[in-house]
Amino acid sequence: MNKTLIALASLMLPNVAFASDASGASNPFAGDIGNALWTLVIFGCVVLVLGKFAWGPILSALQKREEFIRDSLAQAKKDREDAAAQMKEYTEKLVAARAEATAIVDEGRRDAEAVKHKIEEHAKSEAQAALERAKREIELAKDTAVKELFGLGARLATDVASKIIRKELNASEHERLVEESIAELEKTG
Amino acid sequence: MLASSNPLSHVIQHTLFTEAADWGPLTPEGTITLLSDQIVMMIVAGALLVFLVPLLVRKRAGTDDIGRMVPTGFANFFEAICQYLRTEVAEPSLAHHTDRFIKYIWSVFFFVLTINILGLLPISSVSPLFGLHIGGTATGNIWTTATLAILTMLMMVINGLRLGGMHYVAHFCPGPLWLAPLLVPVEIIGLGAKVFALAVRLFANMMAGHILLAVLVGFVLTAGTSMGYAGGLAIAVPVVLASVAINLLEIFVAFLQAFIFTFLTALFIGMSVVFHHDDDHGEAPAH
Repeated sequence: MNKTLIALASLMLPNVAFASDASGASNPFAGDIGNALWTLVIFGCVVLVLGKFAWGPILSALQKREEFIRDSLAQAKKDREDAAAQMKEYTEKLVAARAEATAIVDEGRRDAEAVKHKIEEHAKSEAQAALERAKREIELAKDTAVKELFGLGARLATDVASKIIRKELNASEHERLVEESIAELEKTG
Repeated sequence: MLASSNPLSHVIQHTLFTEAADWGPLTPEGTITLLSDQIVMMIVAGALLVFLVPLLVRKRAGTDDIGRMVPTGFANFFEAICQYLRTEVAEPSLAHHTDRFIKYIWSVFFFVLTINILGLLPISSVSPLFGLHIGGTATGNIWTTATLAILTMLMMVINGLRLGGMHYVAHFCPGPLWLAPLLVPVEIIGLGAKVFALAVRLFANMMAGHILLAVLVGFVLTAGTSMGYAGGLAIAVPVVLASVAINLLEIFVAFLQAFIFTFLTALFIGMSVVFHHDDDHGEAPAH
């Protein structure tokens, strides 16, 4: 029975030793310089071997990774600042382009107005000139017609007068008589 | 052997080969230990580290520049610990000297941790079935922890002198010169106290948990002897449950003590090699 219990109980103990000297003194500080030397040798080997084959590569990888992350962050920061600067530049250019486009449209509008105004003025002056010319032609035609009318009236008056007085007039009296008739006609006309 | 009433007999070192020697206080029992169960476990721990860690380091995501920087699989876990120790434990203490000492810091942590973890395995309970006598926790031996602590002290003193020179020597007299006869011995005692605390803290913590487990299991044997088979089994149930809980705690303690030993090692070395006035160029000297 006790053997079974011992076997069961012993499995619960992580560090129960079954060495032959177990019944000896149970000094908690048991040990001697042999333990220290073994510790020194084993730990020394661990430091040397791992220092060369493990810690070196790990340290190198950690340092490279840190450097990579630092560089990446710095690059990202620089890229962001560049992008912001470019954005600002493009915004300014866009604003300038818009202003320029507005100015061009305004100028075009002004030019169009001016051309329109000029065409209207030109048309008005042309119309006025045509009117004046027409008036002058009318006036001229009127004068000519009046003169022709006076001539015709004088001949008719002479004929009528000749017939009435039955008297032949010589050329000079005839001419004088015509001029007197015209003068009287102008007075009355 | 489990019938032994003293739980200490279950957790102390059990020698396998010894040689008579008389080196004074270095051989308190008149013998030098050539091999013991704890030394075997230490050798196993060292061998595991030496063979497994370089294999883990090679596990990378690819062979190109980016791939070589990315660990894969279990190497992620391993490298995360390394990175944490470097940036969160070593760097605050060692500052610009971090990468100079980080290999030692990593070695200390994984060496102590592996020994602590191996000590939790019930190897010493199973190995006799195969005619072997191995097992135990090497960090539950004051000689082992003291050796590691003395190595830390040597790192402090040697590197303090090498890197700091007179700055380090001046640290032993932080006050006015006329107080040196008082301050220097105090500082030297302080240095010894640091090393002593480092050694005893790890040793005591590792041993205490194992003693507690031995005491718990001892209850089963006592009950079995005095109350018979049924009594032994009745006591065994709560003991097993409690032992499982304590074992879980022990796993935590194994990591915690490895971390504390490493943290204090980094802190103490940092106190020896990092001089704050190096960074105070802009401040007026406090004379």
